[in-house]
Amino acid sequence: MNTRIVTTVYRKEILELVRDRRTVVSMVVVPIVAMPLLFSAMNYFMSSSEKQADRESTTVAVSGPLAMPGLEDALKSAGFQLKNVQDLRAAVRDKGAAAAVEVSEAQIRIYNDETLPASEKAAAKLHELLDTLKDRQVRVALSAKGIPEKVLEPFTVEDVDVAPQGTRGRKFLGGMLGYMVILLMFTGCMYPSVDMTAGEKERKTLEILLASAAGRDEIVLGKILAASTAAFITATLNILSIALSFQSGFMGKNLRELMEGVRIDGSAIALLLIAVLPTAVTAAAVMITISSFAKSFKEGQSYLSPLIMLVIFPAVIGMMPGMEASTRLGLLPVFNVSQLIKSIFAGDYTATAFVVSFASNFVYAAVAFVIAVRMFQREDVLFRT
Amino acid sequence: MIEVEQLTKTFHDKKRGEIHALNAASFQVNPREIFGILGPNGAGKTTLLRLLATVLRPTSGTAIINGHDIVREPAAVRASIGFLSGDMGLYGRLTALEILGFFGKLGGMGGAALKKRTEDVIARLDIASYADTRIDKLSTGMRQRVAIARTIVHDPPVLILDEPSYGLDVPSARLIENFVLDARNQGKCILLSTHVMEEAEYLCDRISVVHEGRVRITGTMEDLRAATGKTRLREIFLDLLGIPARAQEARA
Repeated sequence: MNTRIVTTVYRKEILELVRDRRTVVSMVVVPIVAMPLLFSAMNYFMSSSEKQADRESTTVAVSGPLAMPGLEDALKSAGFQLKNVQDLRAAVRDKGAAAAVEVSEAQIRIYNDETLPASEKAAAKLHELLDTLKDRQVRVALSAKGIPEKVLEPFTVEDVDVAPQGTRGRKFLGGMLGYMVILLMFTGCMYPSVDMTAGEKERKTLEILLASAAGRDEIVLGKILAASTAAFITATLNILSIALSFQSGFMGKNLRELMEGVRIDGSAIALLLIAVLPTAVTAAAVMITISSFAKSFKEGQSYLSPLIMLVIFPAVIGMMPGMEASTRLGLLPVFNVSQLIKSIFAGDYTATAFVVSFASNFVYAAVAFVIAVRMFQREDVLFRT
Repeated sequence: MIEVEQLTKTFHDKKRGEIHALNAASFQVNPREIFGILGPNGAGKTTLLRLLATVLRPTSGTAIINGHDIVREPAAVRASIGFLSGDMGLYGRLTALEILGFFGKLGGMGGAALKKRTEDVIARLDIASYADTRIDKLSTGMRQRVAIARTIVHDPPVLILDEPSYGLDVPSARLIENFVLDARNQGKCILLSTHVMEEAEYLCDRISVVHEGRVRITGTMEDLRAATGKTRLREIFLDLLGIPARAQEARA
């Protein structure tokens, strides 16, 4: 194999890619703007739904005067607005009130709809208020009988979270971002792969290239390297965009709280890039192989779309909070790298997991490359009619 | 320069079974010769040219091009040929200069030699004014010049031309004719497949008629006339295809 020819083919492919608007959009624009947009949208919806719940959780339905002295005043001074209705259930169900309170003898019933954030919030506030009232009444009764208040609390119970601070947030962030990085990387690789195989067939340039002095293995290696570059650039821009959104405080208060303790520093970025590199090559080799069967750009796209769907499954499994990496799962392509990205963000990756993921993806990349070269030798693939 | 020996290509089709695209074709093409391949659609012309360009592998038989066997030394064969088709096969997003640089490097050239050769070819084909313009911004005639330049940039001794004037207007087709004649004068060995009878009659020193995968006849125009008793190439061609005289008249 002549590396000079491979480099020549590679440079030509890259030159063609950067002059194709579709590729530039999927390779550069989408990975840069996708994450800030996603963060903004999440932040907006989280804060607006919180505000709405706050606003709507203040109305409480009652049917007539409450048969408990002091309760009405306590509710009003806690900021609740009381609304007199006939049917308490219907009032909550039809969103006439966030919750309803019914007093009968020694029982207070709270009506709420757990599917509605405002109703849930109102019920929680009512519980808190009633607990305080109950507590106060018990203390007064105990004091009247000369019993010390300590009898109410013979011992205390305390939960101690041994996970490092912010780990939960990191796991969530890592899982979601790992999934996004992989998905966008495959999407960023798709257009270039189709363009330099099925696209070349469609534009009638492939036959001329095959009739040139370049060998098939040199041509396909140049193309795979170019598609890998596209995939890697997509992933790099995506990771940098995430890091920048994070550092600049673009995420907003809600997401920041959710991801408390997360740090995306230079070493994390470097590790992430090394982790995704072999997967970028695998993605490129697989996509070049599949799209070389297609006769046109459109056909190539429809061949690769199911592959994108296929990538989503292991990536989503890897995103689940309880999913932990094992050596066997570490061999599963896509899943292993999504797990590794998650761990790098959480700061709890192990050298073994890193090496297993990197080495197995490197082997997949080599296998995919060999298959791609073989496909490029097949006349029924290149000249399919 | 080109020696084709019993060259055969069979394709396997799931529905149609075995298809004999080319059956034991044999002929020779010499340096300073334009050799025409004539045949109707599906006759096996493109298959033959693709086999010689080593884009396809023969089922049996072989060919020697510039001293290299197409089966055993495909890379050396490809370095010896310039391949041009009617589709032109130019990269629309690249400029003429970039395309010439790319194919020159693939052909083993580089540095000052490639630069000089590119400048020579650009001057000879009068491309200079649009050498830095993307191909997809050029007219068909301009593209045709660039395609010719691309074919000869690495100065190959053998030219394989697959219907190079397909779909071109008369001035563009004339450009191709001049290119082919110039190449012969420079000592090149030229294999030309065409549908245009006038072009074949005007350009070719010898002609092979291919029909249903077989070479029916090979020779000069005089040889073909003597064998068929017809005068015009069009009549000779139809006669060799077995299309009766009445049908010929009707079609005329």
